[in-house]
Amino acid sequence: MIKLQNVEKVYRTSSIETLALNNINLDVKKGEFVSIMGPSGCGKSTLLNIIGLLDAPSKGIIEIDGRKVERFNDKEIAPLRNKMLGFIFQSFHLINDLSVIDNVEIPLLYRSTNAKQRRELAEEALEKVGLANRMKHFPKQLSGGQKQRVAIARAIVGKPEIILADEPTGNLDSAMGNEIINILQSLNEDGATIVMVTHDDAMAKRTHRLIRLFDGTQVL
Amino acid sequence: MLRHLFKLIWNKKGAHSLLIIEIWASFMVLFGVLSLIVFNVSNYVEPIGFEYQNVWNVDLASNQDTVEVGGKLERILQRIRSYQNVESASRMSSNTPFSANQMNNSITYKKTSALADHYNTDTDFSKTIDLPMLTGRWYNETDLVSKFIPIVINKKLQEKLFLDENPLGKVIRVDEKVSYKVVGTVDKFKAKGEFMSDNPAMFQMIQKDDSWNSNILIKTKPGTDANFEARLVKDIATMLPGWGIEVSYLTESRKNRHNLTLVPVSIFLIISGFLLTNVALGLFGILNLSIARRKNEIGLRRAMGATEGKVTGQFLGEIWVLATLSMVVGLVFSVQFPLLNVFDIASSIYVTAMIAAVIIIFLIVTLCAWYPSRQASRIHPAVALHEE
Repeated sequence: MIKLQNVEKVYRTSSIETLALNNINLDVKKGEFVSIMGPSGCGKSTLLNIIGLLDAPSKGIIEIDGRKVERFNDKEIAPLRNKMLGFIFQSFHLINDLSVIDNVEIPLLYRSTNAKQRRELAEEALEKVGLANRMKHFPKQLSGGQKQRVAIARAIVGKPEIILADEPTGNLDSAMGNEIINILQSLNEDGATIVMVTHDDAMAKRTHRLIRLFDGTQVL
Repeated sequence: MLRHLFKLIWNKKGAHSLLIIEIWASFMVLFGVLSLIVFNVSNYVEPIGFEYQNVWNVDLASNQDTVEVGGKLERILQRIRSYQNVESASRMSSNTPFSANQMNNSITYKKTSALADHYNTDTDFSKTIDLPMLTGRWYNETDLVSKFIPIVINKKLQEKLFLDENPLGKVIRVDEKVSYKVVGTVDKFKAKGEFMSDNPAMFQMIQKDDSWNSNILIKTKPGTDANFEARLVKDIATMLPGWGIEVSYLTESRKNRHNLTLVPVSIFLIISGFLLTNVALGLFGILNLSIARRKNEIGLRRAMGATEGKVTGQFLGEIWVLATLSMVVGLVFSVQFPLLNVFDIASSIYVTAMIAAVIIIFLIVTLCAWYPSRQASRIHPAVALHEE
C-alpha cells in the first residue's frame, strides 16, 4: 500500500544543509497498523509528511497504492491526498470558525459530493467516533479528546484507505489517548491502513509493527 | 463551496463587520462620484443644439441712463448689424449661452405644469446661433400684432407638456398670468454648455421698446479679429456715453463654464481616489494579516485535497462574499435615489453608476485579494501545518 525506496530528505539553507531522512526503505502492507517512534527531531514527522505527500523527498521513490508519485504535480497530488489519505494531527487543526460537522465535511468539499451527501457522510463519521450529539458545537466548546475525535471523523469521512496520524495522543491525557487509540484500532480492523507517529511506547505496542528512527536513519 | 464560504463569513461576522462597513462606505462614495460622472458624461455626449464659434456677447449696462433705453438698444443693434464683419446679431436676456445667469418659469398647459428655462430673444436669435427649427418657425415681426405672445419651445418642454400632441398653435400659460402661443419648436438648447442636461426651455420674443434685455449676441465672419472688437466697442461707447460695455467670446465663456463643472468633479475624483486607495491598502493589509493567521488552515486544506487554485479561489471567494454582502446593503441605499427621483436625474444614470460601482468594487477587492491569496496557495502544506 505504501512503499518508500531509498528516500532521502535534505533541508538546505544558504549556509546549512541538514539531512532529515537518510535512505529510508519502507513497505506498509494494506491493512497494517504501523507506528513510527524516535526522539524529537529524528525525522518522524518529515517521514509522515513525505508519506502523506505533504512534502517531497530530495531523493528516492514513493509508491502509494502502486502509483509512483514523487513526480506528481499539485493537480495530481491533491486528489490523491483527498481520496487515499486521511490525516490526524497532534494539534487537531480544526477550524474554530466552523461547527464540528462543517469541519468534518471539509475533505468532501474538494470532491464532487453534493451538500446532502456531505452532511450524511459527516454525520456517519461523527457517529463512528461517538460525537453525534456534538455536531452543532464549535471546536472551542469541546475537550481535547473530543477535538481529536472530530479530527478522526474528518480523516475518515472520505473513506480513505490510508490514515496518517502525527502524534494523535500527544496533547491528550492517558485516558483520552487510550480512547483515541481504540478508535484507530477499530478503524484498522475495518480495513484502514494506519501509520502513526508516537512518542508513547504503550501506544506503539498496540500497533502491528514499530519503525524506529534515529537522526533520520531507520534503525528498526 | 459557496455555502461553506458563507458559513465561514457568517461565523466570523463580528470580525468582518468593520470590513463590510468599509466596503459599503466605499461603494456609497463611488456610487455618488460615479453618478456625478455618468450624469456629466451622458450630458456631454448630447449635442448642445447651437453654434457658438465666432459668436460674441456684448453686455451693455445703461448704468444711470434711463432715457429711451429701449430705443437706444435698438439703434445699437441696427448699427452692429450694419458692419461687414457681422453675419447676424440678436438681442437677448442676460442668461446668454454659457453665462451663470438663469431664469425659469412654471408653465402650464391643461393642468400639466413644467419648470422651463426662459429666454428672451429677438427674431434673429436662431440665425445668430444656428439654432435649427424642428417644427414650425421662429417668431418674426408679424407676431407682434398677435393676440398672444409668440414663443418657441424645445423638444423637452414639448414632451413634458404635450406628450404626443402637436404643440404648434397651442396656447400655454406662464406663472398662471400671461398666455403664450407656440409658433415653433427646436430640438435642444443647452445654454450652459455640454455638461448641462437638456432642460425644458422656452424662447419669448422681445418687444421693440424693451429696455431690460440688453445683451447682444453677434455672429461674426470667420477671421474677425480684435481690431474689429476695438472698433465695435469704440463705436458703441460713442453712441452710448456712460454705458458699460463688455465683450466676451462664447468660446471663452464655454471654457469657463466647463471649468465650473470639471473642477468639482475632479476634486471629488481625487478625494474618492484617495479613499479607494486607502480602502485598497487596508484590504490588502487585512488580507495579508488574515492569511498569516490562517496558515494552519491553509495547510490543513491542502492536506485534505485542496489544490493551489482552490486555496486561491477560497480566499478570493471569501472577499467576494464580503464585498457582495456590503454591496447588497449599499444597493438598498442607492436604489432609493432612482426610486425617489432624487435630484430629478434619470434612473438610467443611477443604475449605470450602481453597476459601475459594483464592477469597480469587485475589481478593487479582487486586485487586493489576488496577491495574498496566491501567496497563501503557495505555502508548502507541511510548513503551514507546523506554523503556530
